[in-house]
Amino acid sequence: MGTMAAQKPLELILARNLLTSISTPAFLVDQDAALVFYNEAAGALLGRSFEDVGRMSPEEWTSRYGPFDSNGQPLELDELPTTRAVRDGRPAHAVFTIRSATGSKREIESSAFPIVASEEGSSGAMIFFWPQDGDEAEDA
Amino acid sequence: MRLKVWGARGSVPAPGPEMNRYGGNTSCVEITLASGEHLILDAGTGIRTLGLDLTVSPHVNILLTHLHLDHIQGLMFFPPCFRADADITIWGPASPEASLEDRVARYISAPLSPVEVRELPCDVSFRDTPPSEWQLGSATIRCEAINHRGPTLGFRITEGDTTLCYIPDHEPALGTVLGDTDPEWISGYDLARDADLLIHDCQYADDEYPLHVGWGHSGMSDALTFASCVGARRMLLFHHDPLHADGFLDDLHAAARRRWAELGGDPALITMAREGEELEVGTAATPAGLTTTA
Repeated sequence: MGTMAAQKPLELILARNLLTSISTPAFLVDQDAALVFYNEAAGALLGRSFEDVGRMSPEEWTSRYGPFDSNGQPLELDELPTTRAVRDGRPAHAVFTIRSATGSKREIESSAFPIVASEEGSSGAMIFFWPQDGDEAEDA
Repeated sequence: MRLKVWGARGSVPAPGPEMNRYGGNTSCVEITLASGEHLILDAGTGIRTLGLDLTVSPHVNILLTHLHLDHIQGLMFFPPCFRADADITIWGPASPEASLEDRVARYISAPLSPVEVRELPCDVSFRDTPPSEWQLGSATIRCEAINHRGPTLGFRITEGDTTLCYIPDHEPALGTVLGDTDPEWISGYDLARDADLLIHDCQYADDEYPLHVGWGHSGMSDALTFASCVGARRMLLFHHDPLHADGFLDDLHAAARRRWAELGGDPALITMAREGEELEVGTAATPAGLTTTA
């Protein structure tokens, strides 16, 4: 049954159940923007399943997967749609490049939606990814 | 802590001779604390007969899990509501849309009702449940949102060493496989963890559940798997489907006991809620933890 970590808020549990059930690649982050789940479709995109990597802090998952701008430079954590959605409680969108566990790069269109269940602010965010066609390339 | 079941039916009252043993009234459970304080869990039609039983000047707290009709329908027929010496506090889930009183008043108002809330002679107050635990008499109460259709709470009631958890409407298996899910991702886990008695939704037999996925209720095996995950010591299966007559519930009970044994538990610790049943919820001192007294 795994560890005895504190139970997640209901809205995150329901969001995870939704993401588990869809084929659009998607992340789920908590109120600290830590990656607490990604679905099988995102696992296929990233080259590793969530079960293999587990929960990751924002610094951990950005160092592992990016994202990068069109010049190949890492995006600032504060400017990621994920961070903006959690911090500002507003949807955020961006196009960027990610790097999978196998080293391949994909250009991704991303939309992040805050999950707000109380007046206390976001309890997390869902981030959906739409890979751009025909832009896959291996790292040199 | 003592409890009495005044209504164990879900969805809609189900009167009739074929329902006599388990009863046809909808959700209502009375808790009597060591301090003498009364807590009433939900106000389904069972609360009407409960109210007839309250002969002394009533001071009661009613804790509503949610406002579906099978959990509030009895309020308008709760005799203390029509007594000037009654002091009633109704607790329920908060909403950004309207106050608890205004939402309950949609039912206790014309044209659905001949009286309005403001006309009730009792001293009634409506309170949003707080986000942190609070004290009622000698009990500590905690509530959390759980997975049902619409905003819905479960309650954890602790008095001394004894904890009762009440989650009458709950579908924790929606979109997941409970036995394969980490506890932190299970709706209601913290609320029900290590409870001496878990009163939990068991609306459907396992072969009925696939036709009711997403309706907010549990199939028998999911209810038991949830109880196993949270480490509940005893379980009272609750919120019986209105189509389930006594014979069906007897069979469901037998199947539940077999399933509980398969999960490694003592089948004697699984009980079907019956209207009129009185229970003493014990501490962890004895494996039983709970005895039927009537």
